[in-house]
Amino acid sequence: MNRIFKRSYIMYVFAFAFLAGLMILFFTMEVNAGKWVVKDYNKHLYSNGELLAAGAITDRMGTVLAETVDGERKFNEDQKVREATLHVVGDTAGFIATGVHSSMKSDLTGYNLLQGVYNLKKEGTGHDIQLSIDSRLCVAAMEALGKYQGTIGVYNYKTGEIYCAVSLPTYDVYNKPKDIATDKTDKYEGIYMNRYFSGLYTPGSTFKIVTACCALENMTDINNRYFTCNGAWTNKVGNKVTCNGVHGTLNFDQALQHSCNTAFAGLAAELGNEKMQATAEECGFNRTFYVDKIKCATSYYDVTKAYDIDRAWSGIGQYTTLINPCHATMMVGAIANRSGYTPQATLIKGANTSNESFMGSVQAKRLDKMLRSNVEKYYGDHRFPNLLMCGKTGTAEVSGDKPHTWFLGYSQRPDLPLAIVVVCENSGGYGIDLAIPIANKVMQKAYELYVLAYANLGEEN
Amino acid sequence: MNGPRWLPTMLLISIFQVITFYQVIFVQDGTLNTAVGIVFVIFTAIEWLWAVLSTIILSKSSLALECIAFFLTGISLVITASCGTGLLIKQFVAFIIGFICYIGLLYVVQNTERAEKFRKPMAVASIVLLLITLVLAKNINGAYNWLVIGGLSIQTSELVKVAFIFVGAATLEKLQSSRSLTQYVIFAVICIGLLFLMRDLGTALIFFFTFVVLAFMRSGDVRTILFLILGAAMLAGLIVLMRSDYIMKRFATYRHVWDFADGKGYQQTRVLTYSVSGGWLGLGIGNGHLRDVFAATEDLVFGVLCEEWGILIAFLVAWAFIFIFIHSIRCAKGARSAFYSISSCAAGGLLLFQAALNIFGVTDFLPLTGVTLPFISRGGSSTISCWALLAFIKAADNRTWAGGKR
Repeated sequence: MNRIFKRSYIMYVFAFAFLAGLMILFFTMEVNAGKWVVKDYNKHLYSNGELLAAGAITDRMGTVLAETVDGERKFNEDQKVREATLHVVGDTAGFIATGVHSSMKSDLTGYNLLQGVYNLKKEGTGHDIQLSIDSRLCVAAMEALGKYQGTIGVYNYKTGEIYCAVSLPTYDVYNKPKDIATDKTDKYEGIYMNRYFSGLYTPGSTFKIVTACCALENMTDINNRYFTCNGAWTNKVGNKVTCNGVHGTLNFDQALQHSCNTAFAGLAAELGNEKMQATAEECGFNRTFYVDKIKCATSYYDVTKAYDIDRAWSGIGQYTTLINPCHATMMVGAIANRSGYTPQATLIKGANTSNESFMGSVQAKRLDKMLRSNVEKYYGDHRFPNLLMCGKTGTAEVSGDKPHTWFLGYSQRPDLPLAIVVVCENSGGYGIDLAIPIANKVMQKAYELYVLAYANLGEEN
Repeated sequence: MNGPRWLPTMLLISIFQVITFYQVIFVQDGTLNTAVGIVFVIFTAIEWLWAVLSTIILSKSSLALECIAFFLTGISLVITASCGTGLLIKQFVAFIIGFICYIGLLYVVQNTERAEKFRKPMAVASIVLLLITLVLAKNINGAYNWLVIGGLSIQTSELVKVAFIFVGAATLEKLQSSRSLTQYVIFAVICIGLLFLMRDLGTALIFFFTFVVLAFMRSGDVRTILFLILGAAMLAGLIVLMRSDYIMKRFATYRHVWDFADGKGYQQTRVLTYSVSGGWLGLGIGNGHLRDVFAATEDLVFGVLCEEWGILIAFLVAWAFIFIFIHSIRCAKGARSAFYSISSCAAGGLLLFQAALNIFGVTDFLPLTGVTLPFISRGGSSTISCWALLAFIKAADNRTWAGGKR
């Protein structure tokens, strides 16, 4: 009997194992609840795959972009607002993965583990989210981009808030085209994708900012250098990178103003694989950025095994180089701040985000001057009235199609700390004729909304 | 004079049950469902009648075990009632049969000499029953463990569980001769083997675990080696069987249920999603969506508990199995003979192990083996066997007999 008495103690091990299992289960539930509850088969939150109960989504001015009314999800009544904000707000069926309806659905539902979905079902409302975008600016951007596919992003380099992230093509969530799945042309290409967050483009001449940065970091004599352009850069074995003109003799600032391929191809070739790779990665290439819970596409730069001709092409933003538009605005934001770092981009109004570093402050200050002189001395301030604009255009060659047209820049006005990127896909146009007017339209709208409106307010008082 | 010690507990249980019964005795338009009401009245009457009677007949008896079992059975009845009146009546009848078996078995094992007489017939009956099942069984949900007689379908392995412990404890008590040990090992191997052939992996595992507990309780150290070798041999057999397609399929999704959310991981992912949908406090009985999933109130009942009754009550139910088990160990320590010690620990261990397989199976902590949650899952055979198993623990409790008449 005594032996059995002792043995029974061993049995407690099983009770402890069970108890430990229960505690782990409880803990796992606690940690993962928010993730598990928003599965689209959860009938408490979804009906036929459509999100039912969720909080309102408003823009930075409080304009309602989506809300639940009587158990039904309603969007803004203005069709243009619906189209311009589609990719940020997202659809309720989850086609647009980076939309707030998908990426922030656990926040939107206002789920908590104590009461589960009880209040949500009872009141039909979840947790409201105020976004940093301005629907008026988004509509202006969509109209400015017009017939082109592409994206326009506007980013506040002081706060990190994204004011506008328009992606075309788009559609009206109330009248979704029926032929999206069956269409054979490219008119709906990437229609569910927010190009600002998920797009990857050949950067073309906008990449010269990075090449210039690398030169500033590594060449002590760069500011006293002169470049001779005879219409092409040629390596020892006769391979050429052709230039967009015959620029003659240029200093460093002029080389960037004229976007001289000869100069920048030569710089990249001279700098070498290691230095170009290091600077590009410092500037955010091969680094993945997150906008709140949205994972942006990762910009790509790799010359680790490149020959000099490939590196030369990469120096003017060709070769295998790809850039994500959201990353691009953050990178110039770091220049605009003249410090080399800038707040992480966010879609939430008033969110405090941590800083991302892109370059040293010396390079940032020098590039800021160069990008300002681009507009001042080359594009002309008349193209950007009142804006104190800085920036760089680009024409990115893509194989088998017309080139993409770029503008990447920012305003130096302290009351308008916005950076902008414009990408017109396969437009075939030049930056100065096509992308700059589009950028100006959007920035003028921003000027009107955030500078003039407040100035008038001051006069009234 | 104060009332009996069990009075506050029974009162609390009854209050809890009245609150829960109240939520299911009305039809949707607000009228009373008489049949459901009658079932609950009878059930409550049985609870109190037993409490009073057992105090009179077995005066020093502790009512702790029954209190837990009544609590669990009440939950089971409410869940079943929310699924349909017909199902409730079936479930209630199963409870009554189970309760009668409980009292019957308690009477049988009261006297170990009397129990000894049942040993061989029960062993033979068990094997015959399993054999018949194997031959006649219909394939229901991938396993061949259902015996259909007339309109009645019985899961025979549930009934054999009781016999398995009975035979084991009775044999091992007389372990002075190694012959009886060999006999029991043969019996165990046949039972577990037949369960494997029925593809009832979960129950086979439960039997194996019970076998290990029985063996350990009796043999202690020296003989353990022998049992371990046997155990290893069985595990090896298990691995061989795992290579077979059917079992591999069951394990393929283990720890990967989210990758197969609409395939093999369907049940587990629904359990997890709807469990957290309920939150700590639950959505209310009948307000869940997990109940629309196949086998919701049987294998997946833990998820229904979480969703509708709240995670707190679901975990309270899980706690109940720990209490039953610890109670069984404590009773085993003071039991009158080895038969009681062994059978008590084995029955408590079996219930705990089965609860673990169920709870951790549907939540993807363990592979899903499709066993029921004792007392809670809807199912006649399972309910009967759970109540019958309780008799072993009750019988081991010295207080049960201390004041009673023999």
